[in-house]
Amino acid sequence: MKKYIITVLGHDRPGIVAAVSKALYDSRCNIEDVSQTILQTEFAGIFITTMPPGMNEEELRKALEQRLLPEGLSVFLKEMEGGGVQAPVETEPFVITTMGPDRLGLVAGITALLSAYRINITNLQAAFRGGDDPRRNVMIYEVDIPGKTDQAAFRAALVKRAGELGLDVSLQHRDIFEQIHRV
Amino acid sequence: MLTDREVISTFEMLRNEHLDVRTVTLGISLFDCASDDLQRFKLKVYDKINRLAGSLVGTCDEVAVKYGIPIVNKRVSVSPVAVAACPFSASEMVEIAETLDHAAREIGIDFIGGFGALVEKGMTTGDRALIEAIPEALASTDRVCATVNVASTHAGINMDAVALMGRTIKRAAELTASSDGIACAKLCVFANIPQDVPFMAGAYLGVGEPDAVINVGVSGPGVVKKAIDRARDGNPGLDLGQLSEIIKRTSYKVTRVGEIIGRQVAAKLGVTFGVVDLSLAPTPNVGDSVGEIFQSLGLKSIGVPGSTAVLAMLNDAVKKGGAFASSYVGGLSGAFIPVSEDLNIAEAARQGHLSLEKLEALTSVCSVGLDMVALPGEASAATLAAIIADEMAIGVINKKTTATRLIPVPGKKAGEKAFFGGLLGEATIIGVPENGGSEGFIAIGGRIPAPIQSLVN
Repeated sequence: MKKYIITVLGHDRPGIVAAVSKALYDSRCNIEDVSQTILQTEFAGIFITTMPPGMNEEELRKALEQRLLPEGLSVFLKEMEGGGVQAPVETEPFVITTMGPDRLGLVAGITALLSAYRINITNLQAAFRGGDDPRRNVMIYEVDIPGKTDQAAFRAALVKRAGELGLDVSLQHRDIFEQIHRV
Repeated sequence: MLTDREVISTFEMLRNEHLDVRTVTLGISLFDCASDDLQRFKLKVYDKINRLAGSLVGTCDEVAVKYGIPIVNKRVSVSPVAVAACPFSASEMVEIAETLDHAAREIGIDFIGGFGALVEKGMTTGDRALIEAIPEALASTDRVCATVNVASTHAGINMDAVALMGRTIKRAAELTASSDGIACAKLCVFANIPQDVPFMAGAYLGVGEPDAVINVGVSGPGVVKKAIDRARDGNPGLDLGQLSEIIKRTSYKVTRVGEIIGRQVAAKLGVTFGVVDLSLAPTPNVGDSVGEIFQSLGLKSIGVPGSTAVLAMLNDAVKKGGAFASSYVGGLSGAFIPVSEDLNIAEAARQGHLSLEKLEALTSVCSVGLDMVALPGEASAATLAAIIADEMAIGVINKKTTATRLIPVPGKKAGEKAFFGGLLGEATIIGVPENGGSEGFIAIGGRIPAPIQSLVN
């Protein structure tokens, strides 16, 4: 059965997930995974669904747009590739935290380094609110670092890059957070 | 997914509050090195330490980088040398200490503990030889630490050993007179010594322990102080029950970090993981002080009235949090108040807030005892022994560990400063009341019997 990724964007308010899931239900699509987030005032949701036999992509797109566009929501539909399972790479989970004054190119600067080391970001929260309080300008990257990475070299490169960007940085194994904060 | 609050609080514990693992100590049994041939014994000891601990520093550094948590000290503790090297004479014991020192230097650690004896009920020839060797052994080495257990709740107080330790401390100070008696900073006298202490100078590996074991000491007075400050800034109305809860939670976090690091190091070295010792152990660095916690809880300084109550609460809260965090808690586990090693406590002594009597009172509710207390050089051996006896009595009666690390600074008087350097710090010399007034008592000797275990008032 084919799987589809449906992305919905719009100004946040009560009832968005209800509207999307009702539209999918009426088209007899089964939701396998869903995740949503709110940045400032904007809603973004990703749904992975399977389509019933006999329905095609265009019909589903039309059905969703008909219901959601009038509500001010944008819809994007795409068929999922490769059955949804990635080839496993041996990695260890880490958390990178930065604090420091906002300026252009912070996310680009850090992520370019991650990309060069083939480090995958599994979750990213970043908020830049300006001002002097470092807690108001924070990036938190949850990343998977390949097992073969030279830890000391990566740590040194990260500290150097953060220094160039004027940021205070920490790189820690995720286990530390799990141990400290979860009973 | 982690919450930003969790991530930021951890970030600050590390960045601003000195969250670290204070020591990873590899315990090594020397019993299988036993021999009546000195050269053979020394060779076996040297080889075994090198074989088991050769990669200790490298492994700790690797784990510290991986987890982003500094491991400040890497150390080795060994079986009590008086037991493992029982047949040897005092001069041969000094040679063994030099072998331990050499091995410690070779593997890149700053201290090795276990040059010790357990004499609470009596002494073997090995115990006598070792204690006789202590002054010269500590004067001629840099890294060796000595411990002598002279009392226990089950055996009472061996007053002959107490008197002997008074003379031993005097002699050790004289041999290192040019460096303010630094040999005494590496010598602990204990009551109820635990078998698995990772902290120096008291570390040794007990007779019931495995062949090799990793014990971890966590610290974090800075983390506790900042947690209290933050909580009180946010809500000035918090009462002591609520503040105790905050200390408990902080201690929990610190202990969890220590355990995960210790287990990783143990796994990489292929040895057993032993215990986490959850102690608040200060260093002479700003922001890493136990004394400052007293000020965060409203006292002008450690030592003023109220200090014993604050320390009792602090010590108990640390233990409660730590005990919940790890199933294997051991060692000393409590708050340390080493005078010279804590900037704030050293300052309290300088300003006269902290007397020997108040320090002694504090040790009744915390670990460990009269720790790194600089005394006038004129303090007699009998007076030192009497101070030790008082401290041992607190431990024996209260079924807890107590210890002394007393430094009678040669040629210096109360109010002058003694300088030990590095982690050992510096301290103002505290006056000893009635020096010489205890001679008659110490001269009696014998063993104070073990205390009754009921009628506990």
